[in-house]
Amino acid sequence: MGLAIEKRLAPSRLWMVLSIVIALAASAIASALLLRFTGADVGVAFAAMFDGAFGGSRAIAKTLIRATPLILTGIAVTVAFRAKIWNIGAEGQLFAGAMMSYWAYLMVGPSGGLFILPLLFIAGFIGGGLYGGLAGYLKSRFQVNEVLTTVMLNYVITFLMSYMLTRGPWRDPTSFYAQSPRIDKSVWLPRIFDGNKLHIGFLIAVVCALAVYFILTRTSFGYEIRAVGQNPRAARFKGINVGRTAIHVMLLSGGLAGLAGVIELLGVGHRLKSEISHGYGFTGIIIAVLAMLNPSAIIFVAILFGAFAVGGVTMQVATGVPSVITSAIEAIILLFFLAASTLTRFQIVWKAKS
Amino acid sequence: MQPFLKIENVTKRFHQVVANDNVSFDVRPSEIHCLLGENGAGKSTIAECIYGSYQPEEGTIYVDGEPAALKSPAEAIAAGIGMVHQHFVLVESLSVLENIVIGTEAATPILDLKGAEKSILEICKRYDVDLDLHAKIWQLPVGQQQWVEILKALFLKAKLLIMDEPTAVLTPQESKRLFEIFREMNADGIAIILISHKMDEVMQSDRVTVLRRGKNVGTVITSETSKSELTNLMVGREVDLRVKRDAHKSGAPLLEITGLRAKNDFGTEKLSGIDLTVHRGEIVGIAGVAGNGQGELFETLMGVRKATAGRIVLDGDDITNVSPRDVQQKGMGYIPDDRFSAGLVGDFDVQSNVVLGAHRDAPFARNGVLNFAKIKEFARNAIDEFEIKTPSETTICRTLSGGNAQKVIVAREFAQTSKVLLANQPSRGLDVGVIEYMHERLLEKRRADFGILMASEELEELLSMCDRVLVMFKGQVMGVFRSEDADIEAIGLLMAGQDVAGMQETA
Repeated sequence: MGLAIEKRLAPSRLWMVLSIVIALAASAIASALLLRFTGADVGVAFAAMFDGAFGGSRAIAKTLIRATPLILTGIAVTVAFRAKIWNIGAEGQLFAGAMMSYWAYLMVGPSGGLFILPLLFIAGFIGGGLYGGLAGYLKSRFQVNEVLTTVMLNYVITFLMSYMLTRGPWRDPTSFYAQSPRIDKSVWLPRIFDGNKLHIGFLIAVVCALAVYFILTRTSFGYEIRAVGQNPRAARFKGINVGRTAIHVMLLSGGLAGLAGVIELLGVGHRLKSEISHGYGFTGIIIAVLAMLNPSAIIFVAILFGAFAVGGVTMQVATGVPSVITSAIEAIILLFFLAASTLTRFQIVWKAKS
Repeated sequence: MQPFLKIENVTKRFHQVVANDNVSFDVRPSEIHCLLGENGAGKSTIAECIYGSYQPEEGTIYVDGEPAALKSPAEAIAAGIGMVHQHFVLVESLSVLENIVIGTEAATPILDLKGAEKSILEICKRYDVDLDLHAKIWQLPVGQQQWVEILKALFLKAKLLIMDEPTAVLTPQESKRLFEIFREMNADGIAIILISHKMDEVMQSDRVTVLRRGKNVGTVITSETSKSELTNLMVGREVDLRVKRDAHKSGAPLLEITGLRAKNDFGTEKLSGIDLTVHRGEIVGIAGVAGNGQGELFETLMGVRKATAGRIVLDGDDITNVSPRDVQQKGMGYIPDDRFSAGLVGDFDVQSNVVLGAHRDAPFARNGVLNFAKIKEFARNAIDEFEIKTPSETTICRTLSGGNAQKVIVAREFAQTSKVLLANQPSRGLDVGVIEYMHERLLEKRRADFGILMASEELEELLSMCDRVLVMFKGQVMGVFRSEDADIEAIGLLMAGQDVAGMQETA
């Protein structure tokens, strides 16, 4: 006799909604406690964070700019995870995309102005795609675990870039830092509105997210991605080439991450440097999992994470609490959401005496 | 005589599902008591309640006249109850002796292998079982692995042995021997609960308890009943056990396999030169104990396993080692035995599964974009035509019963196949009603001049369904028979790998 935890036959809809509410509430409480420990006034801290992220058009623009690469890495990871291919290399693919795009920029020069932007985006997509596709090829051809290859390739590309920017030909000779010369203003991503810095990269990211949603749910290719992810054996028996699908998935996943690199290069950093990503490739994994691998939900989760990053800085100014505490808050949210999503699959029952 | 085990009004629920509803019966020492019922009738559930794996919500289990609330298999074993599961629980890399002794008192506090060996040898001698106690489990054929499980129960001094479908892995001769040994155990006062749906075996028991939808619909004395009475009791309606295989002339060769060889995933050769031909309008059966290459044969035919030698010709086209997609486009389809592993994407809904494989082709897709209206329409028709019981076409397949999952596969393969159908154990784990349905559907394709190659572990099924039956053992065809003049005894010997002189016939 007593309480017991049993697996549910099917996840309950009520609990799915309820669990999200509970997870949010629990994260808020836990975050408040954490802030309290640092000695800050919790109310002031939260208010400052919200104000920094959403108070006024400039703040919102900042948040959306920060969310842009996260949307792209989030959907990049989603495409791969849907096929149960564990791409941990969106970070490296982001840099590969940025580098390929920068190389293309050097090749054609800035004289074409905005007209060369499509070329730079395509180059970035190809760079990231090939880098991801390499891991996909190794997986399908030699059964090399993609977790290992994608993680290791992250190091390879960052060291390669580091070389190119210190001893290599891409270094800005006039600068003390390891970075490339500035990209000509004529090819910076155009802004959407006057008065704030929000650039068209955000729109591109949103369109990509919707496109991925369409691919996954409405196309034969997306159907194959899901079939391979859910049951590769049955997929193989029914004529789906599982290895080739894995390569295609990694090309697409890497390409999307590469676009994040292009947008950060042309829209934010305007130089090739290691700071064009603040771990966006890794945060993308958290975002994808939190959004339950749903591309449209990723847009909102990415904006939430953008808000934390931007609002955290304002909070630091207002309360003196270091802004890195927002990383801890992000982790708290992830943990509570994972716990909640597990709860939806189980139920607590009262067991009668046997 | 006081019964050793008495089940009184036992009810076991899983969520809203009632697996056992007020079940009562008893088991006397020295009897073989058969539990008969369709899949999902609650046989295994009641067995697991007796073995302590499940605790019933209501009712009492008496052991030796005393109420026993068995909370775990360990308690059941202590009470003298042993169970041999359908899937053995053995450590492959350990020896027979170690597997028997593991977890018993002989292993605590100090492992006493010598003493244990002595008493196990005595048990072997008593029942005339020839088993090398020092062989590793992986070296033993499946039939002998079953002995290890039984010996373990006997070593633990079981007074009641629950056998869950014990003959599924045995040749007819091995099954016969097993029943002889059951009888000797009876003579020593050991009771047997036999879970089975093979009528021939059921008829060898002393009493039969028939379960239907969780309820006990009757306990009868075997000698006072008949196969058809038991079947009717089990299904709840009149069933004609005979398959109506009408006369149908088979035509030209459709699927020709010559010298086919293939390896399993670990590089061991599992097909060692298979020759067989399936003609138009013909059903060819493969008899054999599971694991003798049937699965590998179907996989190689479908293109998901590489043939290392030999040729596969489908209606004149060489399809050796072409891709699975090409095989299917040439007109060959497959109904696998493991439905949720090779047949369906469990987390997809019915409509997505029923077009799996055709998801790139018109009318279900155009320019790579899925046409859900057409898919839905096709799925709805399939649900009607193939009598698939599902709440809707968007129901997740994982939640369907085995029979309905099988019907989804059948609907799909029938739609996508134009020449040859392969079926690996198409009736395994299905209810009598669905088995009848499967047989009828396959015969329908035979009438439409399809070639059909099916494997089954039920000899009776093969002999009634197939025009010809061939016996497979260790990746080789041991012999071919016309069903009309097949000799079950000879087939059994061939299934065990013994060459029967003069029995082989070129058909």
